[in-house]
Amino acid sequence: MSMIDYDARPVTPQVLLVGHRASSVGYSIRDFLSRNGVPYEWVDMDDAARVGALLPEGERWVDRLPVCVLPNGIRLAPATLEGVAAGLGMVSTPSLSEYDLTIVGAGPAGLAAAVYAASEGLHAVAIEAVAPGGQAGTTSMIENYLGFPQGISGSELATRATAQAKRFGAEILLARRLAGITRDGSDYVAHLSDGTAVQSRAMLVASGVDWRRLEVPDIDELLGSGVYYGAGPSEAVACNGCRVAIVGGGNSAGQAAVRFSRYAAHVTLLVRGSSLEASMSKYLISQVKELGNVEARTNTEVVGLESDTSLRALVISSGGVVARISADALFVCIGGVPRTQGADNVGLALDAAGYLRTGAELSSSTGALDGWPLPRQPLPLETNLPGLFAAGDVRSGSIKRCAAAIGEGSMVVSLVHQRLAELGGE
Amino acid sequence: MDTSSTTGLPADPLVAGPSNEAAAEFSRVASAEQIRGVAGALEGNGITCIVLDSGEEAREAVRSILPVGAEVYNNTSRTLEVIGVAEDIERSGQYQPLRPRLYQMDREMQGREMRQLSASPEWVVGSVHALTEEGSLLIASASGSQLGPIASGAGHVILVVGAQKIVRDFDTGLRRIYDYCFPLEDRRARQAYGVSSGVNNVLVINKVIAPGRITAILVNEPLGF
Repeated sequence: MSMIDYDARPVTPQVLLVGHRASSVGYSIRDFLSRNGVPYEWVDMDDAARVGALLPEGERWVDRLPVCVLPNGIRLAPATLEGVAAGLGMVSTPSLSEYDLTIVGAGPAGLAAAVYAASEGLHAVAIEAVAPGGQAGTTSMIENYLGFPQGISGSELATRATAQAKRFGAEILLARRLAGITRDGSDYVAHLSDGTAVQSRAMLVASGVDWRRLEVPDIDELLGSGVYYGAGPSEAVACNGCRVAIVGGGNSAGQAAVRFSRYAAHVTLLVRGSSLEASMSKYLISQVKELGNVEARTNTEVVGLESDTSLRALVISSGGVVARISADALFVCIGGVPRTQGADNVGLALDAAGYLRTGAELSSSTGALDGWPLPRQPLPLETNLPGLFAAGDVRSGSIKRCAAAIGEGSMVVSLVHQRLAELGGE
Repeated sequence: MDTSSTTGLPADPLVAGPSNEAAAEFSRVASAEQIRGVAGALEGNGITCIVLDSGEEAREAVRSILPVGAEVYNNTSRTLEVIGVAEDIERSGQYQPLRPRLYQMDREMQGREMRQLSASPEWVVGSVHALTEEGSLLIASASGSQLGPIASGAGHVILVVGAQKIVRDFDTGLRRIYDYCFPLEDRRARQAYGVSSGVNNVLVINKVIAPGRITAILVNEPLGF
């Protein structure tokens, strides 16, 4: 028995990542580990003593960065997200040849569907490219989610939901994205990026949204080395004492500002609109305004970036006046683009913005139900393909809130039951 | 005194270890008769007791008690590290280990969640610093964070105890903590964390009113310190 439980650090060896901080691959691995709750230690190449102790001399590691040292001592060089996930035993294979329900995406909607489906005896499997929780999983604190009067962090909500889904028997296949969907009779087959095929009698697309890209010259070259999409929970501590800029006026941007204010020397919130009130919850606006090191600039857009090996400054435009502000990191939290990659080859009906149409919306959309084979109309949340449902942010007309997505994810399971009964065998 | 051969800790000439007298008194494994007596006393105090011969058997016993999928907090413990229980909990994928989850959390934003999680895990696995012949458990802590869950916060507690920790009575148990455990723990804390330890809190469990909540696995060999 030890007398000290020093900040609850694990007592067994951790994952070590060695590389340059300004590495997009390194960032993707940090982001993956952080969002999956896997402790790791980042060792920067500038730390010659640590690097020398970890990487044996005689090999030219600099060409093989980032290097990942797994807890069992195996070195992956250069490390990839897929390789790290596999090395940590996080890549499982489907246990069944056919499921009742395949869920694409393990955000709030997908996790809710997994919990309700599995708890009601359905064989359910969820496919997740990065980590359970989706965008909500990166939220530092959700303060208006029912039942948590002190708030709950997105990662904690996701961790609990994942444990709950697994306890009921749902499977979660991590670190692989959906590459395509095919039909096998009335079944659907999800083809994953690693070649795995998952067959099921019904399917739910709950893949959520991606952050909208910021249209600024050369921004892609700085991804992971100063520019990040989303709240970047893995980067918060690394921003200690830095100058951070956040683009966006919604709750995600506000929550990111609150989180980074705890670490950064200064946070600038850049909002294209004329006020925060139009897009951010009142409680967050109050919090942001009380933070002494957070400055909100409205009517402002980023028009340029300055960098050397990583981001150094932003060029911003406010009402036609161009200015330069120092920034070590830029987090982009603007809007959303429906994440339908992999699901777009099977003939799903989309709205003008690319979101999946479902239910009654299909009937009012010209041509959306051409080829619909059944005498009944699509069920609520059912797409133009029988037995293929959509829920959460990716669905056209959905309310883009965590609680709404969870509601849809739980509601869709009763519709899946109807579909399975229609097919027979339930 | 160099206690590295019995404790598994590297020697450190800069940090004084326990005296030769303390090391001789408190690293000696109890007799079979003492172990039997203590096991009976523990049962009488409402603490389930399992007596085993080796650390490997203790590891298997912990595996057989912990349900697959259980939420488990493993206290920092040389005993658990040496016999492989810490590895099983944190790395096997069989459980929901709280320690890595807590370590990954944002201390600034999730402090309250961290306190709640660490205060009331479903299972706690740890050890003790002394076990008296009357069946009382003594556990010291610098931060105190380990004590609340063992006393009442955790749903179930498993304590793996090497038989060298058996002492005659409460006063001897306290002496074991101050004269033997603390110098060794202080050395470990300085080596591992760069900070000194302290006997800041001591939990004494004389009796358990919810029989079966605490299981003590008493191992007939020296484990930890």
